[in-house]
Amino acid sequence: MTEEKNEVVVQDKKELTSEKEQTFSGKKYIPATDIVETKQELMVYMDMPGVDRKQVNIKLEKNVLAIDGQIDSQPYGDLKLIYSEYNIGHFARRFELSNEIDQSKIEARMNDGVLLLTLPKVPEQQPASIQVN
Amino acid sequence: MYASFANTFDRLVKVQNAVEASRRSDYFGQSTTHRSAHPFINLFQDGDNTILTAEVPGLEKEEINLEIKDNLLRLSGKRKVNFPEKASARRLERRNFNFDRTVKLPVQVDAAQINAEYKNGILKVVLPRAESDKPKAIEIN
Repeated sequence: MTEEKNEVVVQDKKELTSEKEQTFSGKKYIPATDIVETKQELMVYMDMPGVDRKQVNIKLEKNVLAIDGQIDSQPYGDLKLIYSEYNIGHFARRFELSNEIDQSKIEARMNDGVLLLTLPKVPEQQPASIQVN
Repeated sequence: MYASFANTFDRLVKVQNAVEASRRSDYFGQSTTHRSAHPFINLFQDGDNTILTAEVPGLEKEEINLEIKDNLLRLSGKRKVNFPEKASARRLERRNFNFDRTVKLPVQVDAAQINAEYKNGILKVVLPRAESDKPKAIEIN
């Protein structure tokens, strides 16, 4: 998984198109996401370049984990664009979680444009033995 | 409050539209590289400064190298995606990558005044135009 790769990989940003129509115009993007699982938890890594820690909104409702990242367009305010290869926009993505996640203990960290969500699993339940009378 | 919200969206949409419109720009003239070498860059102008931005999330600052020679700016670095040991993958979309790209700027840059920052996964390089490259007004006697 962590082996060194020397090839150059070009990854285009995926535009979000499937969500409900928006009330404002403008593009949104789907953050590239890795999900890995250990015995205790599920870890979600998302690339959201340009999104500040304070601009990430994580909501959990009916087992749907919703992540929204707002970029700050302020720095672009008065600049004149002279050449461009990538577009900018907010990020949004939804995931459906299974019940095995302890929803009260989800943790989030943001570092250099990468969001890390830690979703702890519910400790395995002891199989209940049922006594027959 | 409402006005400031509207402005934020407007600005974003304005930038997005400008990006779309600039797709066929010939800013660099004819060059040897494909237009979309990695990493993707945007260039802005702010007075005499050229500002280069690139989206490169999850790098270590020490892994980013910037070099300038004349008007050639070289960006290189690598990203390593790390996971905890004994983790099994469910979905893998993010990539390890190395990048090494040289951008030929159409203006001469004052190498000593270049300022670079890496914040929230965005690399931003402010390149001030060299004094010697600026046009001089000629007085008519």
